[in-house]
Amino acid sequence: MSLSKVANVAGLLQIFVALAMFATGLVAIGFGDGDAVALFQSGVITFLAGWATYMATRFDEEVTAREGFAIVTMAWTTTALFGCLPYLLSGVLDSPVAAFFESMSGFTTTGATVFADIESLPRGILLWRSLTHWIGGMGIIVLVIAVLPYLGVGGMQLFRAEVPGPTPERLRPRIAQTAKLLWMVYFGLTAVVALLYALGGLGVYDALNHAFSTIATGGFSTRNSSMAEMSPYIQWVTIVFMYLAGVNYSLHFRAATNRLAYVRDAEWRFYTAILLGSAALIVTLNALSGDVGMEETIRHGLFQVVAITTTTGYVTSDYEAWVPGARMVLFALFFVGGMAGSTSGGVKTLRVMLLIKQTANELRRHLHPRAVFVTRIGHRPMKDEVVTRVVGFVVLYLILCLSGAIALSFVGIDPYTAITGSISSVGNIGPAFADLGPTDNFGWMPSPALGVLTFLMLVGRLEIYTVLLLLHPELWKRRSAFH
Amino acid sequence: MRVVVVGAGEVGFHLAQRLSEEHQDVVVIEADPAQADHAAQQLDVQTVVGNGASLSALEQADVPSAAMLLAVTSRDEVNLIACLAAKRLGVPYTVARISNPDYYQDDAVLSREQLGVDLMVNPELECARETVALLQNAAFTEVADFADGRVKLVGLKVRDGAPVAGKTIRELRAAFDGGYHYVTAAIVRGGVTTIPKPESTIEAGDRIYLLAPSSEIDDVPPLAGYDRFTLERAMVAGGSAEGFHIAKALGELGVECTVLDRDRRRCVELAERLPKALVLHADATDLELLEMEGVSGADGFVSATGNDETNLLSSLLAKEAGAKKVLSLVHTFQYLKLVPAVGVDASISPRMSTVNAILRRVRRGRVMTVATLSGIEAEAIEFEVSHQSRIAGQALRDVEFPKEGVVGTILRGDEIILPRGEDVLKPGDDVIVFALPDAIPAVEALFD
Repeated sequence: MSLSKVANVAGLLQIFVALAMFATGLVAIGFGDGDAVALFQSGVITFLAGWATYMATRFDEEVTAREGFAIVTMAWTTTALFGCLPYLLSGVLDSPVAAFFESMSGFTTTGATVFADIESLPRGILLWRSLTHWIGGMGIIVLVIAVLPYLGVGGMQLFRAEVPGPTPERLRPRIAQTAKLLWMVYFGLTAVVALLYALGGLGVYDALNHAFSTIATGGFSTRNSSMAEMSPYIQWVTIVFMYLAGVNYSLHFRAATNRLAYVRDAEWRFYTAILLGSAALIVTLNALSGDVGMEETIRHGLFQVVAITTTTGYVTSDYEAWVPGARMVLFALFFVGGMAGSTSGGVKTLRVMLLIKQTANELRRHLHPRAVFVTRIGHRPMKDEVVTRVVGFVVLYLILCLSGAIALSFVGIDPYTAITGSISSVGNIGPAFADLGPTDNFGWMPSPALGVLTFLMLVGRLEIYTVLLLLHPELWKRRSAFH
Repeated sequence: MRVVVVGAGEVGFHLAQRLSEEHQDVVVIEADPAQADHAAQQLDVQTVVGNGASLSALEQADVPSAAMLLAVTSRDEVNLIACLAAKRLGVPYTVARISNPDYYQDDAVLSREQLGVDLMVNPELECARETVALLQNAAFTEVADFADGRVKLVGLKVRDGAPVAGKTIRELRAAFDGGYHYVTAAIVRGGVTTIPKPESTIEAGDRIYLLAPSSEIDDVPPLAGYDRFTLERAMVAGGSAEGFHIAKALGELGVECTVLDRDRRRCVELAERLPKALVLHADATDLELLEMEGVSGADGFVSATGNDETNLLSSLLAKEAGAKKVLSLVHTFQYLKLVPAVGVDASISPRMSTVNAILRRVRRGRVMTVATLSGIEAEAIEFEVSHQSRIAGQALRDVEFPKEGVVGTILRGDEIILPRGEDVLKPGDDVIVFALPDAIPAVEALFD
């Protein structure tokens, strides 16, 4: 394992982060809220640290699998670390742990916040907060691969370690071209939703912030009440674009040339069916008990279902006030996530599908002990190793959620809050239940609890294996298989 | 007619044999000297030792003067190149034996015209077609299609107490009073094949061959004492290429299908390619497993491994366990005679079905379709009546038709006529004749 390589990539990334800080700083000057200085200071520190590391270390194009895991994990950790400087230097947060939490929540597109009064924050800081979502959404490594030829063939290892889903798909022979196309789709969707927000009377600043947050499936808002007080038009636009952000970006690209690409994709059908099915259930349950208008019941039900499933985590209605059945359906969606290859978190619908089909096959195996079953997604048979890895992933995912909850309870968090908060963080969703419900924030939590959640968000964003393998003793042995 | 056959494996050998027996001038090109020698000694054909895809071998066989080239080696690419080369050398009609679907599917990179192939025959697919046709009806031991499938020739055994048993052909005709649906083409009793005369009787235990319109073929088995039968559940023991195509065809017909193979990797491949079938990793002769998977309630069972002994054993086990209709693939021609003796319902020879499939479609001019049946000597031949044909314009009862032959069916446009004595053949009619080999030249003369 070459630490020089690991540091080199992390250093280079900070130069990008610094550029983003400078850009935000320039905007902040225009607002004159007094936070521009902090942003520029953060930019300078980040740039110098990144540049010095980059110059002092060396990267060659060969990347072994374990170096890939280390590079991606280190890159994300350092990016979140430097990303918290604006919060500290501007004085909006005193606690480094809380600042790191906020920064990690941003880059991992979780959208959990420690701020109680968001509207009192300077606008430059808020823009930075939304921008961290947008940078982290498509993936910082994917961004580097798209922009610089620097990672070379090693890029594929890193791409695999960062892109969500069991088997990343190549749209073009070269990984750099693939990354570029993904960012183009991402950029395009962001531009369209920003325009629609602005047309809906949101103002350029709010429109941009929410566009970053929506397309990254993040969840940071510039309002204390999240999206609850927005017009029905804005909420409907948000429902549509959260949904689109939860679709595989490669599929968006393919659909640009083939209109039937969506319908032909079995995972897309499953993803859409889950959303519509659970929304119908929740709307029915709420409509039977509530006395609000039908459009509103439908809009809130659908909004919350899409916001949770795509792991965006915006809030338009206090779902904790719903009837128990509706709350439970929503809780089940905390595990699902969007499609593989989207910006969303969670288990991902592809894995859920595979797991269901695999389980059905296991049941049939009791009837036919000698049968050979193949698990298919649509017409495409999946290889046994992929299926096994997915089963392993889901088990690990659940263990991680449970371990996180246990750790939280040890630092004094109530079990209901701990378990839902843990699941929400691993899935990069944001809000949870009980003391971390849709109307609460994370500001009250003790530092150790914030630390646990920060770790869970990172592990969840990098889909568990990438980070956890680094903690596996065998990876550090000289004669590791990955060497 | 000069015919070049590329490849003297079993398919090539039998093609050459049949064509040579029909007085065609056959040249066989074969790369393996031993195989070529075998053909040269056994058959009245010319042999050329060489690669069928090479110009020198093709020129040595004087391909430019041939009317037809049949490329039937076991290698698709050699067959394709041989056809392509033959087409360039001016051969009017080429046939290639092709197993890989990539080459014959509609979306293949090169079309049939571009490849210079007039007809592609997939041996596994032909075998599967024949097997499925046999499986679909419990009674039949043989099925052959004529006139693009509008008429079928079937063979079946008459059971004790069957409505037709003990009756003469004349009585049977009278019983149906003009509305009869089939023509009895041959009766096999004690291994002797006879072409029935009006006074011949059908006895229980006879094997009879009937020609009937495909739309009415389902009425035939009850006459011979069989219950009506629908194929709902089938087992295919052996995931060979033939087994795969059989299972696929059954799946497309909506038949619930179980496939067995003893190679695990092959099982995975089968499971991937046959989404509707249940694939089991098991030996075709594992009786315990067969019983657990419900062989006793299966409507159809086909043993389709690459090994004849395994196939016969497996079919016997299935028959014993109670599967309704049991078929066995038999690759070795010598074993085909054993099949009725061992008690399996019917056998299919993959190579014979290929030979038949090729012959059926390549005989042109007067003769269009031929079915050679494995159990008996007789052949069914489809002729076209021309203006010059001696048989044209006369009532059948006035024609001196050979005693060992019978006019089975007349096809006039869309009409299917089961002939009676007063029927008159017209130019343009297609006629299916069933005849013993000795009578064939005389029959041919009538149509000249």
